[in-house]
Amino acid sequence: MLTKASYTLADGTPLSDLVRVPTREVQMRALSDPEIYQLEMDRVFGKTWLLLGHESEVPNSGDFVVRDMGSDSVIVARAKDGNIHVSLNVCPHRGMRISTVDAGNTQIHKCIYHGWAFKPSGEFIGAPVEKECMHGKMMPKEELGLPQARVTLYGGIIFATWDLEGPSFEEFLGDAKWYFDTLFERSDKGLEVLGPPQRFIVRANWKAAGEQSAADGYHTLTLHRWLGEVGNYSKSGDGGSADLSPEMYGVEVSSPHGHALRCIDLGRKIKKLSGLDPAELTVDQKLEALPPPGMTREMLPQLRKHLSEEQLEVMVSMPPQVGGIFPNVLFAFVYIPQADGSVLGLTLLHAYVPKGPDQLEFVNWVLAEKDAPQELKDRMLMQSIQLFGTSGMVEQDDSDTWPHMTLAAKGARGRRSTLKYQAVYETGAPAGWPGPGIVNEGFTKDDTQWHWWLYWNELMNAKA
Amino acid sequence: MSAAQQVAENAPVIGNPIPVGAEVYNRVVGFLYQEATLLDTIRLKEWGATLAPDLVYTVPLRQTRPMSQQAQSVIRTVQHYHDNYRSIMGRIMRLTETRSAWAEDPPSRTRRMVSNVQVFATDRPDEFAVVSYLLLTRSRFDFPDMDVISGERNDLLRVDGEGFKLVRREVILDQAVLGTPNLAIFL
Ligand code: FES
Ligand SMILES: [Fe+2]
Repeated sequence: MLTKASYTLADGTPLSDLVRVPTREVQMRALSDPEIYQLEMDRVFGKTWLLLGHESEVPNSGDFVVRDMGSDSVIVARAKDGNIHVSLNVCPHRGMRISTVDAGNTQIHKCIYHGWAFKPSGEFIGAPVEKECMHGKMMPKEELGLPQARVTLYGGIIFATWDLEGPSFEEFLGDAKWYFDTLFERSDKGLEVLGPPQRFIVRANWKAAGEQSAADGYHTLTLHRWLGEVGNYSKSGDGGSADLSPEMYGVEVSSPHGHALRCIDLGRKIKKLSGLDPAELTVDQKLEALPPPGMTREMLPQLRKHLSEEQLEVMVSMPPQVGGIFPNVLFAFVYIPQADGSVLGLTLLHAYVPKGPDQLEFVNWVLAEKDAPQELKDRMLMQSIQLFGTSGMVEQDDSDTWPHMTLAAKGARGRRSTLKYQAVYETGAPAGWPGPGIVNEGFTKDDTQWHWWLYWNELMNAKA
Repeated sequence: MSAAQQVAENAPVIGNPIPVGAEVYNRVVGFLYQEATLLDTIRLKEWGATLAPDLVYTVPLRQTRPMSQQAQSVIRTVQHYHDNYRSIMGRIMRLTETRSAWAEDPPSRTRRMVSNVQVFATDRPDEFAVVSYLLLTRSRFDFPDMDVISGERNDLLRVDGEGFKLVRREVILDQAVLGTPNLAIFL
């Protein structure tokens, strides 16, 4: 546990007053206050592991993409030794941006201002007119490289942090790793991206999206009601709109580090597909009836190589379908009903990159199993685009909601209103639940999102 | 003609430009104006009736790339839209037949300015390749910001009675990071 340090905002409010633990409320000014935003850039985005992409985006030596860690641009590059390096995209000479493009391949990142040059590993190569030694003699070349973030690959996903001494990525995931492994570490070759990410700006504070990513199941009922009216969850033939509330039941897992997973009951889908009572089926029969999103039946034997029997049990009954990795990542490993009665799985990751107190960049990666047949990848890609991200019929409604919350949080009165997380689980884990973490079953509640805020609060109030 | 249109599946061979003011040219411009009116006045079902059943409707991503790699600035793997007739009709159904398509309810106020129209004959007598510029302004709620979407449309139109049907549309947008919170509107 980190020790609390007192910090007072400019108007005299203690920072620790924003999150009211006894009543599970958060002051709305957290969604708009520039001072809070500035603190977050160091205390949250300077301390946590951040999603930057997938290694399949930079397969070859010299490949690079330019991404953001909080408010800083970074170069994510594969060096000659095959390792991926994350370098601050700021020239140590006079602060010019080193790479001004989105992606490419080069062994020499050359600053266009005065020509200082750097390797994909960030090492300083030299400055033009070597005999004049224009980088001076005060600092050795080793100290003039681009600042390096600490990098880890998890299922090929690139995470980085500026906290060089802090917890490892595994420690950061904690108990949630047991579940995340069922998504990202389940197959021989792992996932790949189906292309570069979609990117668009939403005029909203990053936390409006961030707190939702911590498994806000409840909003689906109202904000995404169309899914039951004419969308993939509508019952054909009965005229009326389908009730989405059965989809709200399941198991929710949260973590002291703000990660969250919504595990949704697969029983109805398996029953529909197999015509059999899921309670009568073995794990293998259930996998056969409905393979995990993005996997084919041929790939199923791979699961046993990577996962335990307990993990498989969760995957076939209550698999994690949506949730988040603190602070700003959403994952969706969803089972989408198709018009012909079949189910198509989709696998996506989003990052909600902060771009000022009232702006975020929505970055949407569409993933698939490397081993999956091209035909499946093509179908996943089209349906992902139609339901999620820029034009996605589901997420259109999310990105239209967050700006209103952000604007409301600017009002002299509105900023003192609170976000409420008072729908508390009273259940605990289902009997025999094999997984770790903070686990509750039943209708979706506010606990996972509340735990997201508690970790935000802990980081914001930690002693530097 | 853009590379996009040349490589598109089942794309016809693009032939000679049809001069500005020619009868076919004028009919194409009329179609584009009428289409802009239908979309701006949210007559989406009427717009849907102008789509061909073999429609391919795509909006590639853009990336900032060096001058020497401009071909790679258009991304056709992951795209912003990747639709066919069926999925576009599904989108129209969501917008017109539900009471919860919140991204466009209340609807945006939009203007589609269509200009720089070039029409080309193809190796099919009943199909014309059309390039046009699109400048789309979008205003939502009481927000003072006006979202601006600009790009080039590469269309394929098929003669249908007195009018046309849209067979293919690819919109090459100008922003690598879109400045609008979603594409709940058609381009
Ligand atoms: S600022 Fe980069 S070389 Fe001078
Ligand atoms: Fe949502």
